[in-house]
Amino acid sequence: MARRLIYPLYQIGNPQLRIFRPPFSLTLVRPGKEQPQDTVQFRISMEMTKCDVRNYLEKIYNVPVGAVRTRIQYCTNKKRNHLNQKVKRPDYKVAYVQLVQQQTFEFPDIFTEKDVKSAEGSVEEMQEKFMEDEKQRQKPDLRRGGVTEWFGL
Amino acid sequence: MAATSVGRVLTLCRQFQNAFRISTSLAVQQSALTLTKSQSYLDRLTYPLLSSNWHCHVGQCRPLHTTISRRGLEEFFDIPENWGEATVKSGAPWTAKQLRTKSNEDLHKLWYVLLKEKNMLLTIEQESKRQRIQMPSPERLKKIERSMKRLDTVVKEREDALRLLQTGQERARPGAWRKDIFGRVYWYRFREHALPWYMNKRYKRKRFYTPLFVTPHIRLRLEKHLRAKTRIQNKEREKQTVLQEKFPQMKAQSS
Repeated sequence: MARRLIYPLYQIGNPQLRIFRPPFSLTLVRPGKEQPQDTVQFRISMEMTKCDVRNYLEKIYNVPVGAVRTRIQYCTNKKRNHLNQKVKRPDYKVAYVQLVQQQTFEFPDIFTEKDVKSAEGSVEEMQEKFMEDEKQRQKPDLRRGGVTEWFGL
Repeated sequence: MAATSVGRVLTLCRQFQNAFRISTSLAVQQSALTLTKSQSYLDRLTYPLLSSNWHCHVGQCRPLHTTISRRGLEEFFDIPENWGEATVKSGAPWTAKQLRTKSNEDLHKLWYVLLKEKNMLLTIEQESKRQRIQMPSPERLKKIERSMKRLDTVVKEREDALRLLQTGQERARPGAWRKDIFGRVYWYRFREHALPWYMNKRYKRKRFYTPLFVTPHIRLRLEKHLRAKTRIQNKEREKQTVLQEKFPQMKAQSS
C-alpha cells in the first residue's frame, strides 16, 4: 500500500475493508503521566482508529487487546523560526491500550550503561585507572563542607 | 529473542536471502526444509508438528509457516544484548533488484518484518529523545524506509503489469484530462461518491471550465513562461561563449 491512497467508499452492507501491507507504524512511548499497570501507550498515525489499533496488535504482534482509547494531541503552531515564520510541530494521535487478563507491562529502561571491565594488564585498564585517579584528585576537600577552594588558606 | 534476531538478519543482510528462497524452489518439501534451516535455532518444539504436513498432497496444500513469536510487546524493543550499546550493526538495505527476485508471498512477509523493525526503531528513537541520549545507529531507520519504498515500487510494477495484461488499463485509478478555472489542463483523478455528480453540491461549485474573462490572462501567462525559458537559454549560451573565450581548448558542452 502506498501513500496518498483513497479507500473505497463504505456504505452499509459493504464487505469489511481489508488492508494488505499496512503503511502505518506504531511507536511505544513511555507514559508522561502515571498509567495503570496494564496500560500501554502508543503514538499512532492520525488516520488510525481504535479498531485498527486492536487488529494491528492482535494480528501482527499476537498481543490480545482488551480496550483501546485514543486522543489527538495538538502540538503548537506558536513557535517561530529565525525568519519569524510560524513553525508547526506536527500533531499526533495517542492510543492507550489496556491488556487483557490482568497482564502488566512496564516500560523497560533501554539505556542502562553496561559496566565493561577491560582485560587486566591491557592499555584500557591502565587508562581507566589513570582517569579514576585524576577524578579523585579533582574532588574538593570534604572537610570544607562544600565551600569553594579558590579563596582562603 | 531469536525471532527478532532472525528477523533483523533477514531484513538487512543479503547473505540470508537463502531463507527467502522458499517459494522459488519447485518442490514444496524442499521449501519447508530451507525454512527450517533458517529458523531451526528458533524453536525445535514446533517442527515435529510441521513434519506431518510434509507428506500431504503436494499440489493441494502448501505448508505455509509463519514465524511463531512468543513475545508480544517485547518486539517493540531491541534484543536485551543491544540495550545500552552505542552502535548496533546492521546490513545494507534491500535493493529493488534483489526484491524483484522474490515471490509475492515473500514480499508480503518481508513487508511485515520491515514494519515491525520500523516500529522497534521508532520506539527506540522516541525513548532516546525522552532520556536525552543519542539513539544507537539512527541510519537503520533510513535503511528500513528505503527498503519499504523499494518493496512498494516492485509490488506496484507487478500490479501494473498484471493489470495491463488482463485489462489493458494503464492506470489503476480512473481519471480524465480537465481544464481548471485558470485555463490549465491537468489530470483529474476520480473519487468514489455516494451521489451522482449532478446532485453533489460541493462538486458543482468546482468549475471545470475557464470563464471568458480569464482568456487574456492565459496568453499573458504563456508569454511570461516563454520569456523565462528564452532567458535561461540565452544565459546558458552566453556562459558557453564566455567559457570558450577563456579556455579555447575546452570542448563544447552538449546541452
